[in-house]
Amino acid sequence: MGYVELNVLQPSPEQEPALGIDLGTTYSLAAIWKDGRPVVLHPEGESGLIPSVVHFPAEGPPIVGREARARAVADPLNTIFSIKRLMGRGLSDVRDDLAALPYQASETERKVIQLDVHGHKYTPPQISAMILGKVRDVARRALGVDVARAVITVPAYFDDTQRQATRAAAWLAGLEVLRIINEPTAASLAYGLDRREKGNVAVYDLGGGTFDVSVLSIEEGVFRVLSTAGDTHLGGDDFDRRLADVARAEIGARVGNGVIEDPGFQQAVRLAAERCKIELSQRSEAEMHISLPEIGLNWRRRFTREEFDRLTADLVERTIDCSRRALSDARLGNKEIDEVVLVGGSSRIPAVRAKVEAFFGRKPHTELNPDEVVALGAAIQAKILTGGKRDMLLLDVTPLSLGIETMGGAVAKIIQRNSTIPCHATEGFTTYADNQTGIDFNIVQGERELAKDCRSLGRFRLKGIPPMPAGMARVAVRFHIDADGVLTVSAKEEKSGQSASIEVQPMHGLTDQEVESMLQASFEHAQADFEGRRVVDLRTEIGIMVRATEKNLPAARQGLDKESLGDLEEALVEAKAAAQGEDGKRLQQSRDVLERATLPLAALLMDSVAKKALAGKTLDQV
Amino acid sequence: MASCPRCSAQLETPLGCLACGTLIPLASDASGRLEFEILGLAPAYAIDAAELRRRLLRFSRLTHPDYFATAGKAEKERAERATAMLNSAFALLSDDAARADHLVRMLGGPDENAERSMPKEFLMEVLEWNETLEAARTGDAVPAERLEELRRELEAKRVEALATVAGILEPLPASGAESLRDARRALNVVRYVDRALAELEALRLHRAEAR
Repeated sequence: MGYVELNVLQPSPEQEPALGIDLGTTYSLAAIWKDGRPVVLHPEGESGLIPSVVHFPAEGPPIVGREARARAVADPLNTIFSIKRLMGRGLSDVRDDLAALPYQASETERKVIQLDVHGHKYTPPQISAMILGKVRDVARRALGVDVARAVITVPAYFDDTQRQATRAAAWLAGLEVLRIINEPTAASLAYGLDRREKGNVAVYDLGGGTFDVSVLSIEEGVFRVLSTAGDTHLGGDDFDRRLADVARAEIGARVGNGVIEDPGFQQAVRLAAERCKIELSQRSEAEMHISLPEIGLNWRRRFTREEFDRLTADLVERTIDCSRRALSDARLGNKEIDEVVLVGGSSRIPAVRAKVEAFFGRKPHTELNPDEVVALGAAIQAKILTGGKRDMLLLDVTPLSLGIETMGGAVAKIIQRNSTIPCHATEGFTTYADNQTGIDFNIVQGERELAKDCRSLGRFRLKGIPPMPAGMARVAVRFHIDADGVLTVSAKEEKSGQSASIEVQPMHGLTDQEVESMLQASFEHAQADFEGRRVVDLRTEIGIMVRATEKNLPAARQGLDKESLGDLEEALVEAKAAAQGEDGKRLQQSRDVLERATLPLAALLMDSVAKKALAGKTLDQV
Repeated sequence: MASCPRCSAQLETPLGCLACGTLIPLASDASGRLEFEILGLAPAYAIDAAELRRRLLRFSRLTHPDYFATAGKAEKERAERATAMLNSAFALLSDDAARADHLVRMLGGPDENAERSMPKEFLMEVLEWNETLEAARTGDAVPAERLEELRRELEAKRVEALATVAGILEPLPASGAESLRDARRALNVVRYVDRALAELEALRLHRAEAR
């Protein structure tokens, strides 16, 4: 018997959706494609902007977001913020950051930073995973369903280790990463929705902790990145720090060193500086105020915008230097840029806007909220990746050159910066001693000539080369950068036809094994987390049921029999009481009772709706 | 060109079929012709940059991993590989010096180790430039204007050397032709100039930082 393919005329079933997540230094948020456009996800009455802050209380699970940030001054040592600056870094990379951050840090053997909180050690990917977990939770509450797939954005100038660390964080948060995309590129997608004509676009993205500038050419719906430049250690945090330095210097003259070094004091100064900076974007003068009654400190200081601009002029100049380099790499002059787009909360600083406008000679776009635009772009990319959109395509580049250390410590570049990804390249190497059976490789990333000035991504040893005279072996080392911008390296000795094994030891990165053991540890917390989440879920659900019932009850009241009405009113009272507490069992029970009690009401409503709909229609019209 | 194994439409690129969307696994090949074939072109030095770009965009719509994000592992990898080949071919062909270097090798001409010399008339200039660079490297004695002038001279020389290369490679000479040696010598000039320019840029940045 033959068969008929029933689905042949039907559109393919809707793909499971995916979130676009902006995992930021200061804030994180999620967006999703809905009704033909990207929207930021936020539960009713709440902001979708989640502070990227994690607080570890002495007891109980970590707290993430607004509540965590509120505890920064009272409990600075156990409140982690700006974790993104530490992602994929070693202690020596971030000495300046750590000097300004109040928590205790150490390093693993392979130079992965660990923060000590309540005697536990946490790596940056673990902390970021908690933030991602919160983002996912907020998205779930806004959508009513859990979405476990995501596109996550990173600064365009993130190197390989930083990208891998981000991937590890998503993995730890139980998210399937469809793609890692670059923040400025995401922003260009968000802006490019409405105008699809041909042109060159510069995206200037000054975030909380990182700066990127990307130059793109848009043609026939293809967004092709021509070049990118940036600084993963330059952002709004640094602007705050300049104000904080002034405060510390002036207060320091009055109080002792003990106060200056006190973590609570440092946090208070940092937050006051941030507030002052934000105010200075709106008016020409602002007051910085630090009040710590417990040490008798009540300090006020006026800053003018001119003074702030002077204090931060070199930071802005650094961003312009990067912009110059991006243009030169794209082989374009300022005049060939058709549109300039501003992204990132710190692009609100008036001096930044003025400088950017002067440099590119045109007024930058600021129509979209600079805090949201990256997440919106990520949601568009998520839609493309889940098969819903084929009219747009993103071609991105790798920000830094990749190479191998050669004899004498120089670098043989194998993939040039700003190469369109995915891409691959192969380079030949040989032995320098007779009967040498192994070669050590050091993979480096960066633009400097000497390997020691570049970042070492990892070392590997090619073993099993058959003994032969020096210079005879033909070793092909192959680099592949995937669409996420992540590198894989393989090597093979071609003369013998024998493919040899490689062992890569990532520096500053987590091995798969380490990620695995962190996952294991997180499972141990999973039971508690699950309980907490169930309580939140049930409360939300009860809230919705109570509101719906109370809305419909007055009109339907007389249609219900006495017993049903009594049950329902009783169930309402109990459910509302349960929703005030934390008792999962009681919540579940009262929810179930309420559901049953609303059945007669629901039936009544259905009936009356049907009656209304059918009123005045003859049978054959139905 | 060949036709698609699945729908037998004529192929514009060996990477796959634009008509039915099939990706065709492609072995790498050392003949040097593959990079041109991937972009649907015959080997030549003269190239229409806008047309090359249009082909990159069109073929990207066939191979890009973004369109296979939810596909199976094997197909994802095929897309990664096909797109990497496309991007690498585009990078090679869109750069005049890299394309010329590639053609000289393809035609059996000497590589930069077999022919290390530069045209004689160029050597005097090189000596002079090296002196300026050396002076700039060791101190601040060289004014910024002189370095800027050097940069302009170098860029002019690059254009001139590439014109020489074009004169030899358009139309393509026969395999093993003696003129390929001259093309290599001119390409050595380009290589020297590019290194000098990179060094000038490093010096400029260094000075900017020191300021």
